[in-house]
Amino acid sequence: MHRALKRRTTLVVGVAVALTMFSACTPAEAPKPIATPGVEPTGTVELWHFFTDREAKALDDTLARFKAKYPKVTLTVKGGQDDAKVTTAIGAGTGPDVAISYSTDIVGKFCAAGAWVDLNPYLQRDGVDLTAIPEVARSYTEFRGKRCAMPFLADAYGFYFNKAMFAEAGLTEAPKTLAELSDMAKKLTKRKPDGTIERAGFLPLFGFYENSPSHFAPMAGAKWLNADGTSAIGADPAWKALLTWQKELVDWYGYDKLEKFRASLGDEWSADNAFHKGKIAMAVDGEWRMAFLKDQAPEVQFGVAPLPVLYASHAGAGYISGNVIGVSRTARNPEAAWALIKFLTTETDSIVELSNGIRNVPTTTAALTSPQLHVDPAFQVFLDIFANPNSGTTPPSAIGPGYQDTLSEFLMAWQSGSKKDLAAGLADVDTRVNKMIELAG
Amino acid sequence: MAAIASQGSAGAVRRSPRRPLVVLTFIGPALIGIAVFLIYPLLAAIYFSFTRFDMFNPPVWVGLDFWQYVLFDDPTVRVAAKNTLVFVVLMVPARTVGALLTAMLLNAMKRSRSTYRTLYYLPALAPPVTATIAFVLLLKPGTGPVNTLLAQFGIEGPGWFNDPDWAKTSLTLLALWGVGDLMIIFMAALLDVPKELYEAASLDGASRRHQFRYVTLPTISPVLLFAVITGIIGTLNYFTQAAVAGSVASGQVTSGSGIAGTFGYPENATLTYPMRLYSIGFGNNLFGAANVMAVILFVVSMTATIVLLRRFKAFTGSGS
Amino acid sequence: MTTPQARRGGFLLFVARHAIGLALAIMFLAPIVFLLLTSMMTSDQTLTADLWPHSWHPENYVEAFRRTPLLRFIGNTFLYAILATGFMLLASVPAAYALAKLRWRGRNLTMILIICMMMLPAQVTTVPLYMMWANTGLTGTLWPLILPMLAGDAFSIFLLRQFLVTIPDDYLDAARIDGCGEWGTLLRVILPMARPGIAAAAMFQFFYAWNDYYGPFLYTSENQENWTISLGLASFRSLHHVEWHLVSAATLLTMVPVIVLFFLAQKAFVQGVTLTGVKG
Repeated sequence: MHRALKRRTTLVVGVAVALTMFSACTPAEAPKPIATPGVEPTGTVELWHFFTDREAKALDDTLARFKAKYPKVTLTVKGGQDDAKVTTAIGAGTGPDVAISYSTDIVGKFCAAGAWVDLNPYLQRDGVDLTAIPEVARSYTEFRGKRCAMPFLADAYGFYFNKAMFAEAGLTEAPKTLAELSDMAKKLTKRKPDGTIERAGFLPLFGFYENSPSHFAPMAGAKWLNADGTSAIGADPAWKALLTWQKELVDWYGYDKLEKFRASLGDEWSADNAFHKGKIAMAVDGEWRMAFLKDQAPEVQFGVAPLPVLYASHAGAGYISGNVIGVSRTARNPEAAWALIKFLTTETDSIVELSNGIRNVPTTTAALTSPQLHVDPAFQVFLDIFANPNSGTTPPSAIGPGYQDTLSEFLMAWQSGSKKDLAAGLADVDTRVNKMIELAG
Repeated sequence: MAAIASQGSAGAVRRSPRRPLVVLTFIGPALIGIAVFLIYPLLAAIYFSFTRFDMFNPPVWVGLDFWQYVLFDDPTVRVAAKNTLVFVVLMVPARTVGALLTAMLLNAMKRSRSTYRTLYYLPALAPPVTATIAFVLLLKPGTGPVNTLLAQFGIEGPGWFNDPDWAKTSLTLLALWGVGDLMIIFMAALLDVPKELYEAASLDGASRRHQFRYVTLPTISPVLLFAVITGIIGTLNYFTQAAVAGSVASGQVTSGSGIAGTFGYPENATLTYPMRLYSIGFGNNLFGAANVMAVILFVVSMTATIVLLRRFKAFTGSGS
Repeated sequence: MTTPQARRGGFLLFVARHAIGLALAIMFLAPIVFLLLTSMMTSDQTLTADLWPHSWHPENYVEAFRRTPLLRFIGNTFLYAILATGFMLLASVPAAYALAKLRWRGRNLTMILIICMMMLPAQVTTVPLYMMWANTGLTGTLWPLILPMLAGDAFSIFLLRQFLVTIPDDYLDAARIDGCGEWGTLLRVILPMARPGIAAAAMFQFFYAWNDYYGPFLYTSENQENWTISLGLASFRSLHHVEWHLVSAATLLTMVPVIVLFFLAQKAFVQGVTLTGVKG
């Protein structure tokens, strides 16, 4: 029996292993030739997205118009999905035909691996003018010459300041340069008699709320990656200038005092947000913060502006990111899938409707200037940031956000003072990032 | 004493069924489980550790590239591995001793036992993410109720999850707080100690400490071994609580773009080995490196288990 | 018989025990109180420094039910938890018995392999296992989480085995003399005696399934029909906002059945004592 048992186990293992190798090695399907222009899209399309609740309802409204326009397409919609799930499911062949992701991090991988198909043939056939999309949004939806995604609304990050505190300190306008930001931050900071911080003009620690190197990079026009995909961080003097400025301001407060102050602040996503509560006078944040302020702290008089910059030539800049949408290579009806993407990302009416419903930034020039778009002066600031050529994003990479994570890790040691050699630290970041990129292939 | 001890624990296995097929009817399903849920994923992990695999295209053989990367080129892996080992050293003894003490305390109570038992088990019963959020907010420096209470007594509370020197201790407290599951196991084991053994021991004039050492401990030693081994394996795989605690303490309970952005806060003090495995494999798309880390973790767990099984045999002289 | 001193000593011990017991109880109760208070707040007050609700909103509990089909999710969760627990016991108890009380070649190796099943991190095993289940067409349902329990669960087998080892062999020999086969011995002698251990293993499995988020999300996120409670709880969130008052209310509501279950299941432990105490 012992031998029989062994044989049986071996058999089961053999079958199981064979199963992986088969399923893991599902060969890439040969690209299907695309249809001639004017063919009416038909068949089923399954769309997965991450929205829930109110945002999902807003999307459903727009999708209802798609259904009316393309009666021969049967659309199924599944909300609340995340990127890891979409990746696993597409890899196993059970994924959606079309997916919306909340992060541009997957673009590099999905384009390079062909998980999402190249949309260029469709765009060319249908004569879609891509220049209608600002360059920054075009850049985060393509990788190595493949346009495997389209931008589906965007987020713009700018600068928030507390008008009441500014008036109190005799200030009128948002800082335009980093030097002005430092000066104002010092002026607006209040300390208790024992030296602990009671109110910070600006809290410069990386890792605090939306303070990340990616959101700060456009302040100096700092570059992440070279054209060949390798790290540009160590060689770009803009990073050194930006980080030196940041460290100086951290040291003015004292790192330990800042950390202690930070620990006492409320959660970013609660009504106790430090900016709501007047614990900080200025902050870097996304356009959505306005909705929270109106809702949770209507008494706070705030102003918004582009990010303060290192050199005047970068004026008007902010950080841009957005949701992306693409067609899986396993899509059963690529034409219908493409029709959906075209409808959601290139037709002005749809984009305006989605922007009004979800309150994100629309992604085409026509939509940005559409009279139907609900705009107030504050929201206009973010629309301008989005359209500004100085604005920056985090470029797609084969290692996803690996290059940002690696820099962030060094910056934690940099701002606390445990690593003091900036040039060596950034060079080490380069080495590590390039190693990862080499391994990712 | 020795006689009592060996009676409590299992002696040599004496039964040998005549037909081996009978054994198969008992263990057969588990053997299939081993094949499908251990051997298959393990072989897959070993295979993937030598390949570049993007989950969409066939894996490409790259030899030892990812092994070299994990072992030599990624300093963060070492930070994470060190943190995880510290967690094993802190959490496993803390949880084992804490669970045994609370179990003994509760067993010593008479009527109120079932109420206490339910109360003590509550934190282990709550969904881990919600429970972690609650715990971190209770310990929030500055405004949290614990430090506010300490301040009443003139004590300045520590930075807990916000202080790199305290973060590991705080996570250990969190682990202790969810000790209810292990407590239940010990309570069941303690109830299994035959009463006559205690009676015999107290007739011999053994003190309570002696009764614990020579009656209780040997009888529950198999369950103690279980607690230590599963504790080590669980702590080596420690992920959710550390990830959630880091994000809550950093002030971003819900960060929009996944949780990896706040991993390790403060200053990588809470970055565990499986968290690094996850961020390398799924954040940075180096699936091969994640599999290298998984194979290493597996080997470490297995070595620790085998050593413990041997040691325990020598220590108790009985059922491994 | 007892002297006054001894009685006073006993009383002091009683007080000491309950003082420690109560202190610990308050500590262990804190998160539940936190959830309870949060569940009564307005959305804006959640996660702020004010832990006491400014105004009380019990209607949050109604709202939680109105917003998601929680009853359906509770039904799915029960199905998952009960089937997983039942299947787990069917396979794990006999396996644990074979590992603890039967003599056969390869027994120690099998034991180690079973412990090894707990060692591979889920992050990595997910990929090959999901691919396997995708081939069976069962993704989108809870079966990929339930069916594996027919092969037993490593944690439970190990736990049960350690409990069975402590049962003296005399009991088994007595049963054998009575002419019971191995299965008969298991059912008539072991099962009643090992009740505390079996109850503990069953409870862990049940509660694990009840709170499991990662598994149901991986296999059923695209099919709301089959969602469990933990997935339902996650739907009270949008990209930049989580409605903690509703999450807390729903969390507490879904904890009630398991707390009741736990309270009732305790009898199994108590019965375990009396049976073990009877010795021939």
